[in-house]
Amino acid sequence: MPTVPIKDEHRVGTEARFKVEPSPYLQRLFQSGTPDLNWMKETGEWGMHAKPSGLGLRLKDIEIGSYGVIPEHGGEHRSMAPRGAVVPDNVPSLGFTINNKDECWADNVSELYEEAVARQWSSARDIPWDELKPLPDDLERAMCQLCTFLTEIEFIAADAPTRWMSRINQDFFEVKMFLATQAMDEARHMDVFRKRALANGGGLGKASGYSELGLKKIFDAPSFSAQTARLHLLGEGFVLTIFRQGEFIAPSRVDQEIFRRCMQDESRHVGYGTMHLRTQLKSRPELAQEVHNELDDAERILLEIFSEPESVEPMAVLMGGGLAHFDKGMEMQAQLWRRIVGEYLQRCDSAGLDRRPRCLLPTEFSKLFS
Amino acid sequence: MAPEFPDPQWFLALGRLMATRGELFQRIGYVEARFVVRVLPDEDTGGGQEQNTGVAMQGYALADARALACGEAGSFDPDFTICARRAVWRRMLDEIARDGHPELRHTLSSLALMGDELWLESTDQLREDKFYRFNQSLQELFNLAAQLPPG
Repeated sequence: MPTVPIKDEHRVGTEARFKVEPSPYLQRLFQSGTPDLNWMKETGEWGMHAKPSGLGLRLKDIEIGSYGVIPEHGGEHRSMAPRGAVVPDNVPSLGFTINNKDECWADNVSELYEEAVARQWSSARDIPWDELKPLPDDLERAMCQLCTFLTEIEFIAADAPTRWMSRINQDFFEVKMFLATQAMDEARHMDVFRKRALANGGGLGKASGYSELGLKKIFDAPSFSAQTARLHLLGEGFVLTIFRQGEFIAPSRVDQEIFRRCMQDESRHVGYGTMHLRTQLKSRPELAQEVHNELDDAERILLEIFSEPESVEPMAVLMGGGLAHFDKGMEMQAQLWRRIVGEYLQRCDSAGLDRRPRCLLPTEFSKLFS
Repeated sequence: MAPEFPDPQWFLALGRLMATRGELFQRIGYVEARFVVRVLPDEDTGGGQEQNTGVAMQGYALADARALACGEAGSFDPDFTICARRAVWRRMLDEIARDGHPELRHTLSSLALMGDELWLESTDQLREDKFYRFNQSLQELFNLAAQLPPG
């Protein structure tokens, strides 16, 4: 076998600060030539034959035997030793603080992870950018302002939950893997809306102080579940509607493709959040009060965001089909408002949270003005 | 004779086309959703009867399509039901036949957003949200109707 050349090999280790002696095991191996092989006997449940489904070997296909049991409490060792493996006594703790299943779990999380992996897309490859045509100035300005807003807010759904991701016990790795896909989704959303703003003669518009306040509140949420209520249930549910609106108002196939693909990603995030809160509230009904408190504040901030012209007007211009049809756009917004609030309340229902009596969002659009 | 929308055979024909376009659907990603397509009689003519077709998409294939009696759509246990009058469906399919896709504001998602011409029904918002999670695949499925012989 030819030797792999290593540049300046004679210098390797000449200034090393530590001297490492071969372990007793390696010395034994060197002397006897007999392998230890005890690791062959130290295994988790053996004899597994996970079978792929028609869609390949998915997480749910390997939920077999003891490996399919999601523990109510994560391992006390708090290390990254894989669930189901033999864990040595000397593993260092990583200090995970979310160690109970109900604090992070959602029954659809494995399914959503696999779905996310299968439905990834590329903003460079999958958007037909070469079909982008110049738009009338008012529409381009409105689209660019909307893209500025989305570029500004989207990555919070990566930055905020990943703060908690590192605190989740590794036995709930499915949740971490899903949150990793969510972070990737949000990177793509930030990327695609920035690209769209810069691709058709416009540029970025005005950032929003109220949006920033809303983002900070999500970022600073006191617990993962509190953050999930703010972020996944209200925030992402609302953005999901914006993406659906975007698909509707798209002045070109390029914009339609962007919004439709983002819509798909966003609805996975909402799906996780809703199901997680359902798990959490079922296990700890007393948490409802904390979730309500978070939503009280989040709804108030949402209303403040939509008290600014740069948040309200671009969508009305796009909905109406131009500044000349601004009133028509506002009428369509009013029609949609009921749907936005209705779907939000239905998601709360689905999570097991009776939000109706405390909801700050008026069901009638006109009440936003008076 | 070519099957007509919304006969189960019409959807199964789309399913066969879907299989030939495996690369497209694999790139978009798999689907696990079951839904009902409800065709309501037109308001002005009052012609025809309500028709319900249950469709199951599994993975990269259309796994099932069956006619459901009026009032029994729930027996299919759909994630959501897509409802529209015959003329709205007809317009979408005519546009697909002409251009390969519906006009911008006549896509499934756009029509469902405003909810006046086409709307969704579901018992659970979480299940209804599958309409959005798999929307690209749903639209591409309907767009395959451009390749069906005229009914």
